[in-house]
Amino acid sequence: MPYLPLLITFLIAGVITLLFLFLSIFFGPKRETDVKVEPFECGMVPFKEDKGRKYPIKFYLVALLFLVFDIEIAFMFPWAVTFKTLGYVGFIEMISFIVVLLVGLIYTWKTGALEWE
Amino acid sequence: MTDNITYVKIKENFPDSIIDFHRNFGDATITLKTDYLVDICTFLKNDPDLDYNFMMDITAVDFPERDKRFDIVYHLYSLSKNHRIRLKVQESDQNQKVSTISGVWKAANWFEREVWDMYGINFKDHPNMKRILLYETFEGFPLRKDYPIDKEQPIYDKDIDYSNMLSEGALGELKSSQKKGDKDRSFFLHIGPSHPATHGTIHIVAEMEAETIVKAAIDIGYLHRGFEKQVEHSTYTQAIPYTDRLNYVSPLINNVGFVMTVEKIFNIKVTERCQFIRVIISEISRITDHLTCIAASAMELGAFTVFFYFIKAREYFYKLQEDLCGARLTTNYTRVGGLSHDLPKNFDVELKKCIHETKVAIEDVDKLLKRNRIFYDRTNDIGIISKEDAIEYAFTGPVLRSTGVDFDVRKQNPYLVYDQFDFEVPLGTKGDNYDRYLVRMEEMRQSIRIIEQAMEKLPDGPVNIEDPRLSLPPKEEVYNQMEGMINHFKLIYEGIKPPPGEAYLPVEGANGELGYYIVSNGSPKPYKCRVRPPCFALMQGFHKMIEGYMMADVIATFGTINLIAGENDR
Amino acid sequence: MGIERIFGDSLITTKISDVTNWARKFSFFQYPFVTACCGMEFMSAWCSHWDIARFGAEFPRFSPRQSDLLIVVGTVNHKIAPILKRVYEQMADPKWVISFGACATSGGFYQNYAAVQGIDKIIPVDVYISGCPPRPEAVLDGIMKLQEKVTTEKVIDTKYDSIKKSKSKIKKKK
Repeated sequence: MPYLPLLITFLIAGVITLLFLFLSIFFGPKRETDVKVEPFECGMVPFKEDKGRKYPIKFYLVALLFLVFDIEIAFMFPWAVTFKTLGYVGFIEMISFIVVLLVGLIYTWKTGALEWE
Repeated sequence: MTDNITYVKIKENFPDSIIDFHRNFGDATITLKTDYLVDICTFLKNDPDLDYNFMMDITAVDFPERDKRFDIVYHLYSLSKNHRIRLKVQESDQNQKVSTISGVWKAANWFEREVWDMYGINFKDHPNMKRILLYETFEGFPLRKDYPIDKEQPIYDKDIDYSNMLSEGALGELKSSQKKGDKDRSFFLHIGPSHPATHGTIHIVAEMEAETIVKAAIDIGYLHRGFEKQVEHSTYTQAIPYTDRLNYVSPLINNVGFVMTVEKIFNIKVTERCQFIRVIISEISRITDHLTCIAASAMELGAFTVFFYFIKAREYFYKLQEDLCGARLTTNYTRVGGLSHDLPKNFDVELKKCIHETKVAIEDVDKLLKRNRIFYDRTNDIGIISKEDAIEYAFTGPVLRSTGVDFDVRKQNPYLVYDQFDFEVPLGTKGDNYDRYLVRMEEMRQSIRIIEQAMEKLPDGPVNIEDPRLSLPPKEEVYNQMEGMINHFKLIYEGIKPPPGEAYLPVEGANGELGYYIVSNGSPKPYKCRVRPPCFALMQGFHKMIEGYMMADVIATFGTINLIAGENDR
Repeated sequence: MGIERIFGDSLITTKISDVTNWARKFSFFQYPFVTACCGMEFMSAWCSHWDIARFGAEFPRFSPRQSDLLIVVGTVNHKIAPILKRVYEQMADPKWVISFGACATSGGFYQNYAAVQGIDKIIPVDVYISGCPPRPEAVLDGIMKLQEKVTTEKVIDTKYDSIKKSKSKIKKKK
């Protein structure tokens, strides 16, 4: 019950966002020409990409590592807010969670997954 | 006359290769037979007494009434011995036999491509004989005397795919490059003409693997405005506004260089006061150029404040230029034989104000950038070029000095009254972007020093010399004497007429050695006016500064090169 | 826009036009297509002495998808002309074009084989700012004239309707 205003805020924000999106999708004019939908490459016609080209794995690695550690930080926020009420038990639980992820971080560091090349 | 060491040595080692030798206006010219060109060039480069390591310029002149109509002109310079030589080779329209010298000096590559583009002279064994300033489907060779000046060949309303046609030359360079990119993992990207970091006019075709640039080739010509052809159809005085627009951030240096070259053909010396004023305005232009360069390159790295501070300081100089010659940017101030008019009344007061503002701005920006962690990380060890590569590609100016090579035309070949001033030439060590930033900041301080010394020593006297061939007679003579009126009429109506001859004069532009090569045949219009652009040589070697680095480093490196497309493409 | 046309030429559409034009004219997002010397005066007009931010047109967006005002600054020659045309075609409506400087307007004093004698041979132009280079005051005057032009536009205008889903004229080489 004390969180009802928060729920109403999220609902209104969501409804307004979706309203603007769908208004422009259904009622906005669409004037596409062949040239307009091609990617912008500083005014030149882009090179044709070969189908057999492999996508570099480095981008995927960086994104994956970022995701894992970002979720870890997301878990740390509510713990920081309720730190006092959770006491020692909560502290030790959180430390063990962080230590597990720390071991993973040291592993990726030593195997060189954090180097770009 | 025959004590010119180059002539003596060539005559010793290649006895029947020389067709002609003469010295005019302090320049030595040797005309050679075409077959001996490559051997002589190799000899000139490797011989320890001659040591010509800078391949400054290659151009051609068209004499259609001759049997061998083209004169291909090479300008060479030796840094250690401080001497210059001009070589000429004669070539005809059909059955061309001249070979490329890009095996001897790498800098010759693009210069020969430009000669092919403009004159149609095919250099044998050239690795990439494609057009450079014009597009591939252009028909004809514009700088030949029989090409009409206003014959346009538009490509925008043709029903063809222009994508590869524009970058044929660059793709040719990529194919002939030494590095091999992995075909499965690399893709080609246009860092295109319409890009803020490339100053809107340079097209880089980059072969990239993930974020790293493996190979890159530069494509220029997107601001080719036909300067040389246009000047051939104007009188000498009408050509001066065209020179403003070459290096448009430092217009006064271009003006000074052009008129000094014409004065070299006339073989005259201007007055003391004129020389001091020309030094002052050259240094003012150098300061505005470096202000703009650092402002733009810092803005591209995210430091907007630097841009605002330096453009504000530059505004004071623009107001000064407006007081001086009437226009903020396109100054058109010098004339052959002097200047268009003397300095305005409050010039020294205004100049002191400008210098004070610039000093304040330089101190502020130094505090913002010099030990700034982000700026340092983005520019240190990025865009490195070695000394040998820089000399091989005929780099000059702050980019060359940042690698540690001590070459400044004001010190090595002093012109005007630069030898009377006490100033230093800053040198870098590594040749990376940070060094170039520091070199430019220090050069601004040295330019301020020169201006202060020049303003103290500025002598009184007339600004224009009293030569009836060049300068307009005073109004009392024009209105009262017949000779004065006829002189005035002929000078205005026909223009000034230098004696037949040719001259090359290098001045220190803000980007390096700016050389003018003017051929005169006695008529009021120049027969040929060639500008040796410092940025052209820089662009040729630019691919070495971005290969192996990441995409974001291209932005940082390009900003510190200070490419000015008006000069690069003419 | 599309849907307001159901109201026809009435008070509602004129009020909608007023609001839309007021919003558009004070928030130009420019695409500076800078080539030559006029770029220096462009920089001067955008900096602190002759601040253009007070017109709302401050930040240059170097992508045609995010901009609506194409400012062609400096000489356009035949080699860069297809690039200009393509950039213009890749911009989304509504868009305006300012031709900045004498070279963009009419070729300037380069009457030769290389320079296009005016960009209106390639793309439609709304405001011409003349000068070589134009003083920053002239640039501000040009922006204000464009604002006056935008004030007179109507939402029921059929200016952009002819751009339908059409095949581009540039055929690929076989």
